Amino acid sequence: MTATAVRPGTAAPAPTRRRRKGGGAAERLWQASPLTYVTLLAAVALSIFPLYYMFVIATRTNDAIGQTPPPVTPGGEIGGNIDRLLGNESAAFMTGLVNSAIVATVITVFVVFFSSLAGFAFAKLRFKGRNGLMLGILITMMVPTQLGIVPLYQMMYEWDLHNKLPSIILPFLVSGFGVFMMRQYASQAVPDELIEAARMDGCSTFRTYWNVVLPGLRPAIAVLGLFTFMEQWNSFLWPQIALGDPTNPTVQLSLQRLSQGYYNDYSQVFAGTLLSVVPLLVIFIIFGRQIIGGIMEGAVKA
Amino acid sequence: MSTNLRRRSFAAIALAAAVTLGAAACSSEEPGNGTTEQITLNVDVFGNFGYEELYKQYMAEHPNIKIVERGTGSQLDAHNQQLTQRLAAGAGAGDIVALEEGVIISYLDKANLFTDLGEFGAKDLAGNFIPWKFQQGTTADGKILGLGTDVGSMAMCYRTDLFKKAGLPTDRAAVSALWPTWDDYIKTGQTFKSKVKDAGFIDAVTNTYNTILMQKAGQGAGYTYFDKSGAMTIDTNPAVKDSYDLAVKILDAGLSAKLQAWTQEWNNGFKQAQFATIACPAWMTGYITEQNGADGKGKWDIAAAPGGGGNWGGSFLAVPKQSKHAKEAAELVKFLTNPAGQTAAFKSKGNLPSSPQALGDAAVKAAVNEYFSNAPTGDIFAKGALDLKPVYLGAKNAPVRTAVENALRTVEQGTKSSADAWTAAVTDGKKAAQ
Amino acid sequence: MAVQSSTRPEVAPGQRRGGSQLPMEPQRSKGVLGRLDIKYSPYLYIAPFFVVFGIFGLWPLIYTLRMSLYDWDLGSTIETAKFVGFDNFAMFLGDEDFWNSVVNTLAMFLMSTIPQLILALILANALNKRLRGRTLLRMGVLIPNITSVAAVAIVFTQLYNRDFGLINWFLGFFGVDPIDWTAHSWSSWVAISSMVDWRWTGYNALIFLAAMQSIPRDIYESASIDGASAWRQFWTMTVPMLRPTIIFVTIISTIGGLQLYGEPLLFTGGGNPLLGGSDRQSQTVTMFLMEQFYMKFELGRAATVAWLLFIMILIFSVINFLFTRSLRSADGKAKQRKVAR
Repeated sequence: MTATAVRPGTAAPAPTRRRRKGGGAAERLWQASPLTYVTLLAAVALSIFPLYYMFVIATRTNDAIGQTPPPVTPGGEIGGNIDRLLGNESAAFMTGLVNSAIVATVITVFVVFFSSLAGFAFAKLRFKGRNGLMLGILITMMVPTQLGIVPLYQMMYEWDLHNKLPSIILPFLVSGFGVFMMRQYASQAVPDELIEAARMDGCSTFRTYWNVVLPGLRPAIAVLGLFTFMEQWNSFLWPQIALGDPTNPTVQLSLQRLSQGYYNDYSQVFAGTLLSVVPLLVIFIIFGRQIIGGIMEGAVKA
Repeated sequence: MSTNLRRRSFAAIALAAAVTLGAAACSSEEPGNGTTEQITLNVDVFGNFGYEELYKQYMAEHPNIKIVERGTGSQLDAHNQQLTQRLAAGAGAGDIVALEEGVIISYLDKANLFTDLGEFGAKDLAGNFIPWKFQQGTTADGKILGLGTDVGSMAMCYRTDLFKKAGLPTDRAAVSALWPTWDDYIKTGQTFKSKVKDAGFIDAVTNTYNTILMQKAGQGAGYTYFDKSGAMTIDTNPAVKDSYDLAVKILDAGLSAKLQAWTQEWNNGFKQAQFATIACPAWMTGYITEQNGADGKGKWDIAAAPGGGGNWGGSFLAVPKQSKHAKEAAELVKFLTNPAGQTAAFKSKGNLPSSPQALGDAAVKAAVNEYFSNAPTGDIFAKGALDLKPVYLGAKNAPVRTAVENALRTVEQGTKSSADAWTAAVTDGKKAAQ
Repeated sequence: MAVQSSTRPEVAPGQRRGGSQLPMEPQRSKGVLGRLDIKYSPYLYIAPFFVVFGIFGLWPLIYTLRMSLYDWDLGSTIETAKFVGFDNFAMFLGDEDFWNSVVNTLAMFLMSTIPQLILALILANALNKRLRGRTLLRMGVLIPNITSVAAVAIVFTQLYNRDFGLINWFLGFFGVDPIDWTAHSWSSWVAISSMVDWRWTGYNALIFLAAMQSIPRDIYESASIDGASAWRQFWTMTVPMLRPTIIFVTIISTIGGLQLYGEPLLFTGGGNPLLGGSDRQSQTVTMFLMEQFYMKFELGRAATVAWLLFIMILIFSVINFLFTRSLRSADGKAKQRKVAR
């Protein structure tokens, strides 16, 4: 840990200091000035604005595009736009939503499980070739996704998986980023003493993983889980290739059919985009606290 | 079209139908459990070809065949990319695929990827198609890659509200009379710009350039960037440079609204009346109707294109080699593209036929477009299609055309001089041709 | 994580990090089963990654490497394609358009990463203060990350619209003439970089924040007593201590940034978006790759570009890695690891 590296031998854990009230010249450092609030509120506003703009267009008719000045308040057309969206058979939007939910959920569960398991092995177990294998995983992260689409498609066709959901699930069940992240987290957040104790109790390595490591990794799992889910939900390149059957799209493919049709019905496109973000938003709000909490856990606990 | 030829082609279709029917009948008579072998034919399209009724009819006549259309409503780019991937992977493409004009040309030197429809009697069907359309789907050594569906024959759409504002005539005959040639068109544009400052006379110059090139090439050497031996002619064919210069002249006259096609800016341009005229293939009328919405109804009309006819877009149906039912697929292609099939597609979705017989059909001739001030679209576009002379396009036509279009765009955007851009077009074009 | 310093402050660094002293070591285990478990189970645990990657990642990789050595056309097979060795590689290394795409990619990578990291640092520093509604603010800055590239591009293309976009409308108040954002290199770079920035700044800010939380506060205390200003402390203490985190974030951004594709593609729009505009002003390496595939049907050359891109990412990552390692001695190994998140 940083702490130990910069102040070897210091006794007091740093975060406990935060709880001390008043006093100390450094205290002023943690005081938020009005400028801080202004900066942060501006950042949040900028973050939310494009989403808000999406909402505005989704609630208006097509005439909203191209108005000067551009509209900044919501209109009353959201119902009509959504009706048009759901009635648009070629987009198969509902099927897309369901498919994406299935795909993203399955992948997330597997990625989290495999990554934490491998991350635990890399961080806490000793075996031959450990560093070399870890480096190998790092390098796989650098492979451009576009590289293998043709052979991958041939493979899926050969196995009769094309046009079926497994074709977009199987290749993504593991993640180099996930393993790397879990390794880093496990090596810092799970104390060796706990593992040592579990071993003394006669736990197998898997039980140790299951009973000791996994609970300790919870915040990291929440983060990795959310990132994986979002990534899969938003993934486009491979599903577009693998799922040729237009009646069986993912949500992003549905959106593409909306936004790249011969005619540009923007309010319908934006209504679709908005609806496609809602599930993520819900998950984000439910898990968001935990995730942000996870990142901040140390500070909170201390 | 000679009656003779027509009769022959009808006879061929009848024969083909009989053969297929016969085959179906045979297989049903075969001993065993008494069921015919069921064949599913996948038809990969983009947009809307208007074939629903034709499929029903065909399936009723061929009980052993099930037709599944895929990709209805999808965008051309997505359709093309998917097809490329499947051809590359050697699997997954439909038994019949739609190839847009530019696409089929780029596949001409990859004829081994497709079934030669000539093997299934398509050679005798030439009379069913406008000559240049049939030629576009045929390789230099006579293989027939695809049969034509529709054409995008060219006219000039114009906004009557802006013309009125500029003091120009608004009646379509009078407007057509304003611009027998492109120079006249430019003069009209200058008159327009002297009266109306806040709108362009034309959306952008690239599509006009392509129209001009096809006209000039048809009147001249009969080819554009490549001669029939495949040699690059971008800097030797006078038609190319003349067309380029004419396009630059339009730009120099300040007529362009500088709205690149298929961008959001362009779409807004329709709504905001940012330009007065647009090169207008038959299918563009649908696009304008959709983009401009109810506001634009009756504010548009259609006149003849300057300099004679032209074509932009239109498609073909082809059968990839990887199809396991090449014969059945070829028969279906012939059925869908025969004059009756084309007329039916026109009635369903307004896709302008590429068959002279269908273009002569009463229903096509009588068609008017209410949105465009009741312009007789069937008549106008049929004339544009029949006027066009065949032009040979090399397999690498698309990348070279893109190079020239992009050069014109840099002139339009003011980032390059026309001379520099021409040099770039020639360099890039030659490179793209490799 | 700050977790660690709070849960086990009593453990001295040497005890834990002595490399050979991992808690589960074969020689310390009892029983045959236990030994087998400890010796071989790690391979079992990492096996899923290598199995799945081997099937769906490695095989395509080898296949494309082979393709890159052939004049491999659409419809070619290994039997019909002509072997050309490294000709494809040599051709691209001398190709102006390839290098143009490299320059564009690097320019957009730098233009997005540098402001992004600076902004993320400033945001993280602000979020590190004692704040009202802290969780809400932190979630607020992460919101852009939940939107898809497609959605971001649609919205931003609208914002950057030449004639009716909010941005030109806004600039109009300062007397700036409407800018045709897609027409020039610099403007399209700015627009595309801003999309990337918008999407990733908050994410990086939170990573920085996590790292900042683990910097002990007493070192600030002594600095404050010495009279160093907050600004000075930020630059002379916080930032140097975050350097490994910064470098990690840079590596992740390198991997993502050099593969930039969706944003420039959707931003370019028009008839041939893969070219990145009329003068290839926003064509990235990945778009160049796709051009070889979809527009030219040259699969062998597409595979070659993919490998060149892979090599490029590798080179940049190695540079980053070496840079990281040289910093280790200064800041200690531990921090280096933590950064991972």
